[in-house]
Amino acid sequence: MPSSAEHTTSFAASGEDALTRPLEIRDAELAAAAARPGGDFATFYEIERTARELVAGRYRRIALQFPDELLCNSVPVFRALTQRIAELCAEEIISRSIIPSDDGNPQGSGLQQGAPVAADEGAPELYVLADTSYGSCCVDEVAAQHANADALVHYGHACMTLTSRLPVIYVFGRKEIDVPHCVAALLGAYDAETEDGGTGTYSETQAILLTHDAAYTHAADALLSALRATLAIRSSQLAVLYEKIGTSSRPAEELSKLTTQAPSTDVPAQKTAIFYVGGESLGLTNLLMTNAGCEVYTVDPHTGVAVRASARTNRLLMRRYAAVQKARDADVFGILVGTLGVAAYLPLIAHLRRALAARRKKSYTISVGRLAPAKLANFLEIECFVLVACPENSLVDDKEFLRPIVTPFELEVALQSEPRWEGTYVLDFTQLLADAQQSPPLPSGATTEEEAGADISRGDDSEQPAFSLVTGTYRHTKTFGRAERDGRGREGAEPASAVVLRNQDGALAVMEDSAAGRFLAQRTYQGLELRLGADAPGVLEQGRSGIARGYQDDRAHQDML
Amino acid sequence: MDKPTNIRNMSVIAHVDHGKSTLTDSLVSKAGIIAASKIGESRFMDTRDDEKDRGITIKSTAISMYFEIDEGDLPFIKQTTNGNKFLINLIDSPGHLDFSSEVTAALRVTDGALVVVDCIEGVCVQTETVLRQALTERIKPVLVINKVDRALLELQMDKESLYESLLRCVESVNVVISTYHDAALGDVQVYPDRGSVAFSSGLHGWGFTLRQFAKRYAKKFGANEDKMMTKLWGDNFYNPETKKWATSPVDSAGKTLERAFNKYVLDPIYMIFNAVMNTNRDAITVILDKLDIKLSESDLNLVGKPLLKVVMRKFLPAGDSLLEMIVINLPSPATAQRYRVETLYEGPMDDESAVGIQACDPKGPLVVYVSKMVPTSEKGRFYAFGRVFSGTVKSSGSTKVRIQGPNYVPGRKEDLFLANVQRTVLMMGRYVEAIEDCPAGNIIGLVGVDQFLLKSGTITSAETAHNIRVMKFSVAPVLQVAVEVKNPADLPKLVEGLKRLSKSDPALQTWMNDTGQHIVAGAGEMHLEVSMKDLEEEHAGVPLKISQPVVPYRETVRVESSIVALSKSQNKHNRLYVKATPLGEELTDAIEDGKFNIRDEAKIRARALADQYGWDITDARKIWSFGPDMSGANILVDATKGVQYMNEIRDSCSGAFQWATKAGVICEEAMRGVRVNILDVTLHSDAIHRGGGQIMPTMRRATYAACLLANPTLQEPIYLVEIQAPEHAIGRVYNCLHQHRAQIFSDEKRVGTPMFTIKAYLPVAESFGFNAQLRFQTAGQAFPQCVFDHWQIVDGSPLERGSKLEALVTKIRIQKGLKPEIPPLETYLDKL
Repeated sequence: MPSSAEHTTSFAASGEDALTRPLEIRDAELAAAAARPGGDFATFYEIERTARELVAGRYRRIALQFPDELLCNSVPVFRALTQRIAELCAEEIISRSIIPSDDGNPQGSGLQQGAPVAADEGAPELYVLADTSYGSCCVDEVAAQHANADALVHYGHACMTLTSRLPVIYVFGRKEIDVPHCVAALLGAYDAETEDGGTGTYSETQAILLTHDAAYTHAADALLSALRATLAIRSSQLAVLYEKIGTSSRPAEELSKLTTQAPSTDVPAQKTAIFYVGGESLGLTNLLMTNAGCEVYTVDPHTGVAVRASARTNRLLMRRYAAVQKARDADVFGILVGTLGVAAYLPLIAHLRRALAARRKKSYTISVGRLAPAKLANFLEIECFVLVACPENSLVDDKEFLRPIVTPFELEVALQSEPRWEGTYVLDFTQLLADAQQSPPLPSGATTEEEAGADISRGDDSEQPAFSLVTGTYRHTKTFGRAERDGRGREGAEPASAVVLRNQDGALAVMEDSAAGRFLAQRTYQGLELRLGADAPGVLEQGRSGIARGYQDDRAHQDML
Repeated sequence: MDKPTNIRNMSVIAHVDHGKSTLTDSLVSKAGIIAASKIGESRFMDTRDDEKDRGITIKSTAISMYFEIDEGDLPFIKQTTNGNKFLINLIDSPGHLDFSSEVTAALRVTDGALVVVDCIEGVCVQTETVLRQALTERIKPVLVINKVDRALLELQMDKESLYESLLRCVESVNVVISTYHDAALGDVQVYPDRGSVAFSSGLHGWGFTLRQFAKRYAKKFGANEDKMMTKLWGDNFYNPETKKWATSPVDSAGKTLERAFNKYVLDPIYMIFNAVMNTNRDAITVILDKLDIKLSESDLNLVGKPLLKVVMRKFLPAGDSLLEMIVINLPSPATAQRYRVETLYEGPMDDESAVGIQACDPKGPLVVYVSKMVPTSEKGRFYAFGRVFSGTVKSSGSTKVRIQGPNYVPGRKEDLFLANVQRTVLMMGRYVEAIEDCPAGNIIGLVGVDQFLLKSGTITSAETAHNIRVMKFSVAPVLQVAVEVKNPADLPKLVEGLKRLSKSDPALQTWMNDTGQHIVAGAGEMHLEVSMKDLEEEHAGVPLKISQPVVPYRETVRVESSIVALSKSQNKHNRLYVKATPLGEELTDAIEDGKFNIRDEAKIRARALADQYGWDITDARKIWSFGPDMSGANILVDATKGVQYMNEIRDSCSGAFQWATKAGVICEEAMRGVRVNILDVTLHSDAIHRGGGQIMPTMRRATYAACLLANPTLQEPIYLVEIQAPEHAIGRVYNCLHQHRAQIFSDEKRVGTPMFTIKAYLPVAESFGFNAQLRFQTAGQAFPQCVFDHWQIVDGSPLERGSKLEALVTKIRIQKGLKPEIPPLETYLDKL
C-alpha cells in the first residue's frame, strides 16, 4: 500500500492544478487597457454613468457581471460603484444621512454576495457575478436571478442580444483608438478596391454603414463625424449610416423589434459598403456571414491595418453550406441549449422541435453548458446538433467535434426540400422566428418528397431514398413518429427495426420507432452480458491503486510495454 | 427470348481504336437495322453527339438482334439448343481506359465477349485489362483480329508475314487468357482452327473464320469441316502432287510447299485485292465468277476501295461469320449461369434464388442485376439496365419487387425498397422497344426503379434473396475537380445535376468536402472532361465554375511507432496505449481487392491472415474494424491481454478509428495501409466515465500520435501509361516522360511494324496536360493511354523542415483551409 504522504501530495498537486490552470483570456487588449494605472479606472468602467443610471432606475438589487479577463478588477469596481451610488443617493435624499459601508468580501468565484450597502432600504445591493456558463458576451440572467437581482451591469464585450427578463446596463470598456488614422485607413482600403477592382459593383455603392466593436463605442461619434467630414471634403455622394450601440437595454417585450441588425434604409443592401472598426472577432465573422451581399472593410485600431474582409465571406459560407448538407443527411438531432438569457430562445427551441417532428426526425433537447467534444460524443446516436445560442456563440466550426453543429437558421435551410442557399444568413433568433411565421407553416407529414407526387406514382409505403450530397450516394432516411397525413396515423407501417433484440436471452422489446433502440441494435456491445461458464476462471490478482492522474502501477506498466 | 438456350449475351471489348463500334455495325447490319452500305461509317452504337465528334465510344450501348443459323451448322454447337433461331444481345463498349467502368458494367450482364484486336497494334494495355476483367467475371472470350485490310493495303505484307502477324496476335491473347485462367471456365483459349478466332476488316465490312473456308474446301478435300479447319491453320502444308498433308514446309522431294492457310485462305483475298486495286477488270470478272459472287451493275462500275469493299463484303460478309462464331462458340445463359452463379451471388448456393440463377429458370424467383443506368429521353429519368438471371420480369404487374441497393443486408430494412416495375424495354442502340415481360437470360431495361438505385443494384422477389455481388471496377477515381455554380441561385440545379451525373456513370463519384465544395472524381482527364461537359450542358444545364484537377493522396506509415503512443481521455481516467505499423503493400492491395472485409467470418479471416501474411493468430482474431467507411485498407487490432471492459469500448474505438482514418493527421487525407494496435488500456471502473465521449476523442488522438511516431508519409497515385509511337518519335516521347517524373520500365518494338510500345509509371499529379504535350511534341504520332496502377510512397518526410514533401503537405493543408503546419506530436501524445 502506498504511504499516506504520497496520497496527500497527489491530492494537493491535483487541486493546485485546477486552481492554477491558466484562463483563456480572449481579450487581452481589453484586460491590458483596464489594468492601466491612474485615474483612467473610473472612466474605463464608466462608474459615473453606471451609478447614475442605477440610481435613476431605483433598482434594489444589482448584479455586476464580469468576463474572465476583467474579473480581477471586480473588487475595485464594486467599491467604486458602491461609493458613487451612495454619494448619489445621498445627494438625492438629502434629508437622510447615509453612511456607505463596504466591508464585503469580494473574493472567490461565481456568485458573490456583497455586503449590504446600507442597512437602510435606500441604498441598493450589489453582487458580483463571475463568467457565465455559456459565453461572456451574453447576459447571464439565471445567475442574476440567484441573487434575485432586478438589474444587471454587464462589463466587457457584449453581443447585445436582447434579454428576456432583466434590464441591462452595458459597460464595454474603452479601447484606445486613433480616429483620424482609422478613417483614413478605411477609406484607403475602400478606394483601393473601388479603383483597381473596377468591376462596377463597387462603384454602385450608395451608402456606407459604419459599425464597430463594442469596445469602441466611446469613440463612435468621433468616428462618424470624422468619416462624414472626410467624405464631405471629397465631395462624395455617399451617405453614412450608423446605428448607435445602446449602452443599456430593456427586456424584450415584443418580438418584432430588431436589435443589432443593420438599420433599414432605402438603400438596397447590395449597394451598402460596411466599415467595421475592430479586430478579428466572432462579431466580425458574424457581420461577414450575415451581410454576404455587402462589401466589408475592416480596420483594426490596434494595428492600424485596414483590409477588405469580404474576400473570405464566401469561404465561410461554403463551410456552413457543407454543415447544412450534413444536417440534411441526419435523422436524429440534438437541440443544444447554449443560452438561457437570449430573448425568444424558448419559442425558438419549441419551433425547432416542431419543425423536426414535422419532418419525422427525432430530436433530443440537451443542455451541456459550454460545449466540449467529450460531452457531445457521449450522445453517439445523435447525428447532428443544433445550437441555440447567442449569435456570437452560434457558429461552432471545430474539427474536434464528431458530429456537425449547425445554427437554427441552417437547420431551417436543411429541412427544406430544395436546397436553397442564396447567401443570406440569419443568426438572430427573433428574425428567424419572424421569418418562420411569415412563411407558410411547414406542411405536416412527409413533405420531403414534394417532387415525388409530380412525376411518378411512387410506392406508398416505401419512401424514395434521398441523394446525399456529402457522400454522393443514396441514403435511406429513417423516419420517426407517424406521418400526420389527414390526422390519421398509419398503424402497422412501422419498420422492422422497431423490434429490438434487447438481451441475450432473445427476449424482444418493442420500441416504437425509438432512435435509441435502433442505435442499440447497431452496437456490438449491448449491455451486461452474462457469460456464465464461457470464460475460464481467472487468477486473483492485485488490482491497481491510486488516483486517475497517476496510478501506483503506471510507471511499471509503461516500462512493461 | 423465351428459350434461354438460344440466347447469346455478349459484349464487344477491345483497346481504343481497334474498331469495336465499326465492327459492331457489321453485326447490326446483318440484323437489318442499318443498311449494308453504311457499315463502317454510321457507328450505330455511338448514340451521343460527342461520341461521334470524338470518334470514340463513351457509353456502352446495347442492342438485341435476331439471327438464324444454317441448320447444317447446328451440330457444331456444343451445348443444348432449341431450333436454329437465336437472339443475340450485344453490348458495344468503350475502349478508352478512362471509361473501363462501362466495360465492367457490360461484362456483368453478358456471358461471352468478342475481343477485338488490331492486327497491327496487337494486344494493348486495355485489351489486357478488359480480358482480365472478362475472365474474372467468368466470361468466355472469342477473338476477332481486325483491320486485316491495313496489313494488306498499308503495310503491303506478304502472305507469310501476315500469317505470322496473325499468329502472334492469337498467341499473345492466349498468354493473357492463360494468366488469368479460371478452372471453372475450362479451356477458354482461342483457336483459329476451332473457329473461335475471326479475321476481319470492320471498315470494309468483311470478315471470316476458318469455318467459312473449311466449308468451301471440305468437299474438295473430302474431309469434314472440323477436320478441314485444323488443316487450315498452323504448320499444315498440302502437297498437291502427292495429295498429302505435311507438317513441314519442305516436302520429301525438297520442294517448298505453301502453308495451307496462305494458299487456301489468304490467296483468294490477295487475288481480289490485287485485281481490284490494280483495276484489272478481266481478273476481277474471273475471280468473281470463280467465287460465285454476283454484283449489281452499279457496283461493278465502282473502282478502287469502294469496289473492294463491295466485293469483299459479298465474298466474306462479316456479319454472318461473326454471328455464326458467336452462336457456335459463346455460351448461352443456360450454360453460363451454371458456372457463373458462384461468383455472382453473395448468398448460399442452395437457396431458392441461387438455384433459380443456376438453372436460368424463368419460373424461379426473380433475380435481376442492374449494372448501370441509361438516360431516357425524359430528363432526369433512367432505364435501369440489367440482366434477368432468374425468374421473369413482368411489366406493369401488380406485384411489387424488392429493390436491393448495394448496402442491403438480408433481413434488414436499409437500402431495400418495394416498388412496381412499370415497363420493360429492349435496348436497341439509340432506340428502345417495349416488351410485355422478360424471362431469365435476357438483357433488358426497366422503367420505374431508377429512383431507388443510384448506379447498380439487385432486384428480387424472394425475401431471402441476397445481393448479386457488387461490380469491381478496374479504374479508380484518382482525379478530382471541384464544381461550383456561377450563380448561387442555380445551386439546386447543380445538386440535381450531380445526382444525375452520378447515376449515369458507373465509376464517377461525387461528394462534398468540409469546405463546402462539390467534388467530382473520375478516372482520368478525358473522363472528367466528358463528365463536366455533360453536367454543364445536360444534367444541370447551368453555367459552372470548374477548378483545376486535384489529385488525392493517402497517408501511411513506414515503420512501427518508435514508442508506444499514450493518450488520456479528457477526464484523465482512461488511457489508451497504441502503436501503428505498416500493413504491407500486399495485404493493403488484398483488402482493396475485397479479399478481406469486416463481414468475413472472423475465424476464416484470421486463418488466412496468419497463413498468408504472417499475422499472429490471436491478433488476427481480434480485428476490431477496417477503416475508413468500415472497408478501407487500415486495420484496428485489439492487442490487449486480459483487460476488462474491452468489449464495451469497441464501438467507440472503432468509430474513432473510422474518423481518424478518413482524415489522417498529416493533411486530412484518407489513411491507407496502416495497422493500429491497441496494446493496453486503462479504463475507469465506472461505466459513465468510460463512455463514448471520453474514449472516442482519445482513440482518435492516440491514432494520430501513433502515426506521427511511425515515420508518416504520403502516397500518391500512379498511372500506368502505355504509349505507342513510331521509332523516330521515341526520343521525344522519352523526353516528355522524363519531364513528368515518369519511370519507364518497358520499351518494345512490335515485330513487323515500325511502332514502339513504351510503358511507364507516371504520377497522376503530373498527368495534367501530359496528353496534350506529348501529342504536341511528337506531332500527334504518339498516343498515351493512362490507367491507375498503384499508390506509391512519396520520397522524403513531411515532418522534415524544408523538405519537398513538407512543401506539398503545406500546400494541401492550406488548400483545405487548415493550419499550414502539421500539429506537433504533443497535441496528441500525453505523458503519464
